[in-house]
Amino acid sequence: MAMSSISMYNKPSNASDPFFGSSWDPIVSLSQSESLVGSSMVSHSEFANSHYPLLMENQGITSTAHFSQYQSDPSFVELVPKLPGFGSGNWSEMVGPFSLPQCGQIANGKCPQNYALNTEVGNERACTNSTQSRDEHQLSDEGVVGASPNGKRRKRVPESNSPLRSYQNADEEPQKDPSGESSDVPKGQDEKIQKTEQITGVNSRGKQIAKQAKDSSQTGEAPKENYIHVRARRGQATNSHSLAERVRREKISERMRLLQELVPGCNKITGKAVMLDEIINYVQSLQQQVEFLSMKLATVNPELNIDLERVLSKDILHSRGGSAGILGFGPGLNSSHPFPPRIFPGTISGVPSTNPQFPPLPQTVLDNELQNLFQMGYDSSSAMDSLGPNAGRLKSEL
Amino acid sequence: MSPHHLNPSSLKSRFTTRFLRALTNINAQNPISSSSPREILQRYRRIKVAADKSMAYSVRSRRTWSRAMRWKLRSRSWRQASSVRRLKITTTCHQAIMKKTAHERESKTTTGEEVGFGVQTDGLRELVPGGEAMDICNLLDETAHYIKCLTTQVQREQIAS
Repeated sequence: MAMSSISMYNKPSNASDPFFGSSWDPIVSLSQSESLVGSSMVSHSEFANSHYPLLMENQGITSTAHFSQYQSDPSFVELVPKLPGFGSGNWSEMVGPFSLPQCGQIANGKCPQNYALNTEVGNERACTNSTQSRDEHQLSDEGVVGASPNGKRRKRVPESNSPLRSYQNADEEPQKDPSGESSDVPKGQDEKIQKTEQITGVNSRGKQIAKQAKDSSQTGEAPKENYIHVRARRGQATNSHSLAERVRREKISERMRLLQELVPGCNKITGKAVMLDEIINYVQSLQQQVEFLSMKLATVNPELNIDLERVLSKDILHSRGGSAGILGFGPGLNSSHPFPPRIFPGTISGVPSTNPQFPPLPQTVLDNELQNLFQMGYDSSSAMDSLGPNAGRLKSEL
Repeated sequence: MSPHHLNPSSLKSRFTTRFLRALTNINAQNPISSSSPREILQRYRRIKVAADKSMAYSVRSRRTWSRAMRWKLRSRSWRQASSVRRLKITTTCHQAIMKKTAHERESKTTTGEEVGFGVQTDGLRELVPGGEAMDICNLLDETAHYIKCLTTQVQREQIAS
């Protein structure tokens, strides 16, 4: 049946089968009622729907090596010999016998690019159908806008089982298609684009469903994903703007999570604002540490016979104390300053072990600098006025 | 023994070698004879610049912040070393860049507002070199890398002291 032949494209998950089962029946019936090969278009929508089984079997032909069960559908079987030697690059032969109209004006502004992408994408599809890398999607990024309508078309079948999906799709995307009239422009190209995009939709959906298997939401219908191809989530707005926003938001939150791991002591913090504050504080303190250490190096080091081995050995020692050890001196030297404990939880313990050199340092100069450094950090701008000329010079160097 | 230096081309080892080289150069140039504050300050400045420079060059300008830092360092050295004309050129270039980035930032903050970040990212932008011109997504990326490099720097300096 069509279901099984289509289900093979979604190997990792079987939950999509009912989806296909429900949606593809009208298509299959339509395709069986017509003769696909060499047919002129009977009706706009029907033919649009008949794209899918056609593409499916093309896909199957190109990737029979990957899929075991293929010939279960008699209608497909009889169609197979009629498309001989269908390779990934033979889109033109595919398109030839069919006078395909533009059922959805899909990505018309991107025709030339997709044209170039066609063979590439098709080739890749042929090679690795089951494992789609993200690069492919990026390759067919130009086809995103075009592919997503197809995807949306397919996905919303259970929601709206109308055979006029293509029309629906066209209605839904006025913004993606500012130039509807350019559909008259090379139809051959558009057809190829369509096929590419539909294949893209197929494969990306396959991958989505693989991803869905990991996700918790498995209704078998509107899949959720956060690829470059963004599908509308179930129950959410399908506006292209909101989709893009959602992708953006997810990217940003992912990066925030990474930062959270980098900044020590931020595991409990939830909320972007507080997190951002923490990050800013941490970066400031790191910069101050660098300054502080370079000041220390400036004063201390006439005996700089350091080579890598010594650094290596010390590295092991110091990696325990961590970079926060230096600032453990903060409370010692500047007890007046409130030391933010949340940023350097381990500092106080690190004080005695890591810096034995500190006491003999000339205190006068260092005291000023240290005070200024700490003041700069912890009292942000208010302390700047009270700083001496040294600090002023320091700050100007920054 | 030490996982860091096993990889000769890792960031840490690159930074370490450069930094040490710079330090030895500085020490060779100005041996500490006196501990007058001014001289110490000079050395401090030089060492700081050396640290920043070695870090920025180790990162090889794959990252925006390293490019911005290199640019800053270069313009600073021009300013110190040479004539008024070069200074003017650099400042005009810099102003042009800043204007452009301000425009970009305006356009981007309007789209970034919706995420709810608008105000606080400015603080981060000031901190991370080159952060003015980036949208929030990239800014966070750069911040992560910058934090990593800063921690490397601090570790190395700590060892060297």
